Amino acid sequence: MASINKPLEEYASVKTWYQGLREQSGVEPNEDKSRLELLAEFCATLELDPDEIVAACLLRKEGKETKISIKGRRSMAERITDFQAKGGAEGRERAKRGNAVRSFLIHNGIQLQSGIQI
Amino acid sequence: MEFKEVVGRRRSIRYFQSWRSVEREKIQIMLEAARLASCAVNATFLKAIVMIRDNIPRETLDALKTPVSGLTIELAPVHIYTYVDMGAYKGAQARLKKLVDVGALNISHGWSHKFVDEFVWPNILKPLAENPNLASVAASAASDAGIAICQAMLAGVDEGLGVCLTAFQHDAINKLVKAPKDWIPLWVLLVGYPAESWEAGGQRPRPPLEEIFFEGEYGKPFKGDPKVTEQMKAAKMIQAQAPLPWRKEEIKALARMFGLPE
Repeated sequence: MASINKPLEEYASVKTWYQGLREQSGVEPNEDKSRLELLAEFCATLELDPDEIVAACLLRKEGKETKISIKGRRSMAERITDFQAKGGAEGRERAKRGNAVRSFLIHNGIQLQSGIQI
Repeated sequence: MEFKEVVGRRRSIRYFQSWRSVEREKIQIMLEAARLASCAVNATFLKAIVMIRDNIPRETLDALKTPVSGLTIELAPVHIYTYVDMGAYKGAQARLKKLVDVGALNISHGWSHKFVDEFVWPNILKPLAENPNLASVAASAASDAGIAICQAMLAGVDEGLGVCLTAFQHDAINKLVKAPKDWIPLWVLLVGYPAESWEAGGQRPRPPLEEIFFEGEYGKPFKGDPKVTEQMKAAKMIQAQAPLPWRKEEIKALARMFGLPE
């Protein structure tokens, strides 16, 4: 179990996410802090820090190109679906829970397609 | 719509109005456009199976998605699964003679029934028909299929539809559609009314003409005439290149409408 011992914004993967939101999605992440709160909740659920969540979706072997782990990504997608279902939200709020985490992973290079969530 | 504008308006549409069905006659027009495409030895290498998305069992629909095409497959109400028929060389002998009979292949160009029967078929086409796995045979068949798919796409655009050619998991759909074994799966042509604007952010960035086409020999660029370029702009064949200034806002709005990540 990793302990989150610094503000989430200081993790490299969160910096990458924020940069991607600004540059590729045209979204200012600081305008809606709920994204980060949802990521924090997801981290707590998995007992992993943000960088570890990204790493869990990757296959790293010495001397070889890093690949996306099919098993790791599938498992993470299922955990996001579970996470989205928890919390009692419905409709858009429910979708927002999952999509905050999906957005975090996508901007970190983990390709995910969730399908329509509403 | 004028032809040049159809070419200019085509985009790979990735957001479809998932709730809006497509008129059957528009699909027929697309298929007819494919049927009329240029093809070697008058062989219709392209074969296709039209599926209405909502008639595909949920389990199959999920199984045929690839990691990058899943959402678009889910949004598009019509799927046209395309194949190259490697058996299409068979019968080429009779088809060529028919082309002689109807005046498409002529004595003026050296064609006759005897030429087909005694030279073209035994020396060229029969070996091709018997060796469909040769790379050159498969490539030429796939090329013809691609031409036909392109015509279907453009016909769809002309009908006001959005189209997107994308990948699919072959095994999943083959179990359902029972395609013959000598049909090689190509792409799924997704069809529907666009949920995004038809501009879809603008014409995609492509290398300039001079970088990809040559004149006389490789390395000598085919130089375009700026006046002709202006004519193509006036005819809406060449349009504003992506990204249009509002594209990110459009994607945000679409993501929020469908409940997708930003």
